[in-house]
Amino acid sequence: MSDALKQSLDLSMFWEYRAILWQGLIFNVLVFQFAASVALSVGLGAALLRVNRFLPARIVGTLHVELFRNAPDYIMLVWVHFVLPLLIGLVIQRRVEFHPFISAVIALGFVYSGYFAEAFRAGIQTIPQGNLDAGRAFGMSERLILWRITLPQVVRRMLPEALNLFISLFKATTIVSLIAVPDLMYNVSMVIQQEMRPLPLYTGAALTYFLIIFALSSTARAFSERWRQKILA
Amino acid sequence: MGNWERLVWNQRDVLFAGFAVTIEVCVIAFLSAVIGGLVLCLVRLYVAPLRFVAVVLIEFFRDTPIFVQLMWVAYVWPEVFGFPNDFFTAGWLALALQSSGYLAETFRAGIESLPRGQLEAAFSAGMSPVQTFRRVVIPQVVLSSAPSIVNQFTVIVKSSTLISVITVPDLMSQSQKLVNVWYEPIEILTATAALYILFVFLISLAGKLIADRVRQRFGLAAS
Repeated sequence: MSDALKQSLDLSMFWEYRAILWQGLIFNVLVFQFAASVALSVGLGAALLRVNRFLPARIVGTLHVELFRNAPDYIMLVWVHFVLPLLIGLVIQRRVEFHPFISAVIALGFVYSGYFAEAFRAGIQTIPQGNLDAGRAFGMSERLILWRITLPQVVRRMLPEALNLFISLFKATTIVSLIAVPDLMYNVSMVIQQEMRPLPLYTGAALTYFLIIFALSSTARAFSERWRQKILA
Repeated sequence: MGNWERLVWNQRDVLFAGFAVTIEVCVIAFLSAVIGGLVLCLVRLYVAPLRFVAVVLIEFFRDTPIFVQLMWVAYVWPEVFGFPNDFFTAGWLALALQSSGYLAETFRAGIESLPRGQLEAAFSAGMSPVQTFRRVVIPQVVLSSAPSIVNQFTVIVKSSTLISVITVPDLMSQSQKLVNVWYEPIEILTATAALYILFVFLISLAGKLIADRVRQRFGLAAS
């Protein structure tokens, strides 16, 4: 038993493959970046639908949020990768296939757009009506009010929540290895198949992710604490 | 509609067998996570010599992605610690570990938000620490953190889809088996996704209703 412990803590093999593992980590970051932009823009769209005066728009926005917030990200990933191309193919009468990277970005982006929509909406609803009335009294268009009055305040208020969501999204990028996006976990399992030594490699992967996410989340926590004091003051 | 009947309705036994495994894993994982989270939280708050260990464990469970933790528990633990010996146990154990980290922090926030005067009042009324905890602290913490606790159960259900990767025959894995038999993913995967979404939706709805009712009954504002 202590032999196995020693083996799993002997990370020299993990270090030996650092080049390919590093490449994998870059894929995690890429998926994260693209999915985060999708999640932010789609989430903002859904939030604006949810606060619209027009009832059908509100219904669509609510459906979007409930659908994606309640969906497990793994099943969405599999669905987007294996079902969505077939459905699009049926519509345009042509064979369609998604690159795994595209599927990963769409699936994670849309799942997290549900969470971001709620964060945006919570922020939008804290804006006092007087702010909007003042904007209208100056003759600003609704779009100008959104960009100059509402969003700057919303972004400031939702920042701590958004940081947490970004960290969750980064954690979720590890599952893209399951549809063969060559991320860190994918490369780890490839190396394991070659070397037949799961102990140091899985332990190394767990420690790597832990260190990265721990650093990110403690920074986010410290920052949010200061930020809250600043905007409440 | 013929496809739906052939691929989904006629396979309902297979899918429900998987759904039963999903529920079993999630319930075991959830109950273990509540107990584990409570223990971690109490150690962190009241057992000074072990505080550091509890903090490290909580942070490690919270800051490692569930998929990585699952692989680690399923493939490294049996060699190093001698258990879990089957993938079913590894599945719920990994889910429970992650959630116990989150719940420990939820409980801690609940305990720390109690006014200090309440504890002093309980002690001066002659209650022992255990009595104080049982009669004053726990009821309030359970009430105030009920929404987060229910939310954690939905997180477990969502993450439980990943245990299909280590061949636990849950709903996800049964539906992927069907896809591999029929090579027609559209209906099967859509039905599976719908089932999961509906299930998670109903849990959070029920959780919110129950939490609101209990809070009203005990004189706390609804969330």
